[in-house]
Amino acid sequence: MMGGRAVGMRGSEMEGRSSAVNTPVRRPVTRRSKSYGRSCVEPPSLFWQTPGHLTTLGHRIPTSRRAAKSHNITEKVDPEQVALLLDGEWKLSYVTPLFLFRHTQLKLYSKRLAAFIIAEKQQGVAVEVGLEAGFRVSFSAVLGMAETEEDAETVFIQIFSRPVFGADGSKPVWQGWLTCVNGDPEYLRSLPPDFTSLPLFCSRGAESLSALVKSWFQRTFDCSFGALGLSSSTLHWLAALWTGCHPAAGIRYLKLGWTMPTQPPLDIEYSVDPQDAWELWNSVHKEDGADERISVDEVQSFINGLETHFFRHFKIYLSSGTLTKVSTALGSAHHHGKIKMSSSDYISTVLTLLTECALLKTPV
Amino acid sequence: MALLTPYSKIPELNTATLLLVENEEQFQCRLADAIVQREKDVNVNVRLARKLPLPVENGETRPRIDLVVFIVNLLSEQSFLVVENSLNHLSSDYFLGKVCFVVTSARCGAVSQERLLSVRKLAASHRCPVICAEHQTDDGVTMAATRLLTILKVSAGLSPMPTTALYMSTLTRCTVPSDLDED
Repeated sequence: MMGGRAVGMRGSEMEGRSSAVNTPVRRPVTRRSKSYGRSCVEPPSLFWQTPGHLTTLGHRIPTSRRAAKSHNITEKVDPEQVALLLDGEWKLSYVTPLFLFRHTQLKLYSKRLAAFIIAEKQQGVAVEVGLEAGFRVSFSAVLGMAETEEDAETVFIQIFSRPVFGADGSKPVWQGWLTCVNGDPEYLRSLPPDFTSLPLFCSRGAESLSALVKSWFQRTFDCSFGALGLSSSTLHWLAALWTGCHPAAGIRYLKLGWTMPTQPPLDIEYSVDPQDAWELWNSVHKEDGADERISVDEVQSFINGLETHFFRHFKIYLSSGTLTKVSTALGSAHHHGKIKMSSSDYISTVLTLLTECALLKTPV
Repeated sequence: MALLTPYSKIPELNTATLLLVENEEQFQCRLADAIVQREKDVNVNVRLARKLPLPVENGETRPRIDLVVFIVNLLSEQSFLVVENSLNHLSSDYFLGKVCFVVTSARCGAVSQERLLSVRKLAASHRCPVICAEHQTDDGVTMAATRLLTILKVSAGLSPMPTTALYMSTLTRCTVPSDLDED
């Protein structure tokens, strides 16, 4: 009898365990992702595996933006650091969120990155051949660039080479910075607590050093980098934003560069007189009064105006080529992901646009 | 304005005619060759055009067109504008399953997302399917040809199962999720 009871209990225990194992597997799981062949009817979803906010980021393309306002950024940020940012052309990449990145440990990071670079350069060399140049790295935080509370502070990285013969090593051989300006607040709030999002990475200098810095970041903070190209719609926005700034800060010229898909490829540079560009922009853009928002239709009409004018004179459809370059006195942007900002007043507007591009491009 | 109409001519026996409309004329020829080579049972005629309206001179000799395929290259804005204009020259009977959109270079990183979205919105408003095609590899061209042949056979009335073009297009039409925040 006792044996019988024991068997009965064991049976129910086993049943309890097996039911606990079985139920999670039964629930149908569909993952929504921006997949290649998504042209047919969408299947109804019953259960999302990932939190909904992260996946909807890629679909919300903004249709209107704030007009470029001139901010005197030197009030908030050290002017020397601003001068570093304005210095030349930067190459853009997007970064996925960094895990356990602490703004308080920047000195430690600089030492580690310097050691990593030296080790990588020495890899494969058994005996020291030739002059050995050391590297000094400095990480600094550029405070004041962040616009909202959710933005993380900008981090500026410089690599100086330290030559053996004691010459002055204060000229940086490589510079880069990670930033987030006006990032999508819902996305930033939905990140798990240990993650910092600094989605825009700008770099200038030797390509080999860029690759080393990126691989160090990937190993230390488990993030990944990718090339950020500026699509033609981003370049249209930049052209419209910069033209809109003409009365406040003269843009001096508006140059647009196109590449036509002919054999051999034809490069067209279209320079517009700033006053004419401003008048065209003014006729398209309705002044809203207090809240200056620019809508994507206005930008499209502006660019259509420029293209039809060109067609009328040269009988070439500019829309069949790709827009590669936009430049004004306030800055220039290239299709391959290069940006140059020449005026400190409009940095935050341009960076907001670029942060948004980086966030949209980041694979979630 | 002469509209292209699907039912104004008598169909021929065991024949289907396809019209490929593309502004750049890059993908048309390869796709046409692939389609003609794949199909052995049915006579498939493929006609190529750069845009609609089609030239009036050929109007008499042109057979009845069973499927109009618009090829949009996402790398150029002009491609999309030409397709938009061409849609005005089709009779509304065509949109009951005899029109299809093919999109190339959709996976290219340099393409802005808005262009694909606008093609899909255009297709959704006309209740037509959108096929994404890979035009650079032979496999991609063959795959696109196979898919188009399936749709062509249904719209020409040659499929063995009693399927109508309207039924098929209702199943395969492009949908654009209007608001994705409901989850």
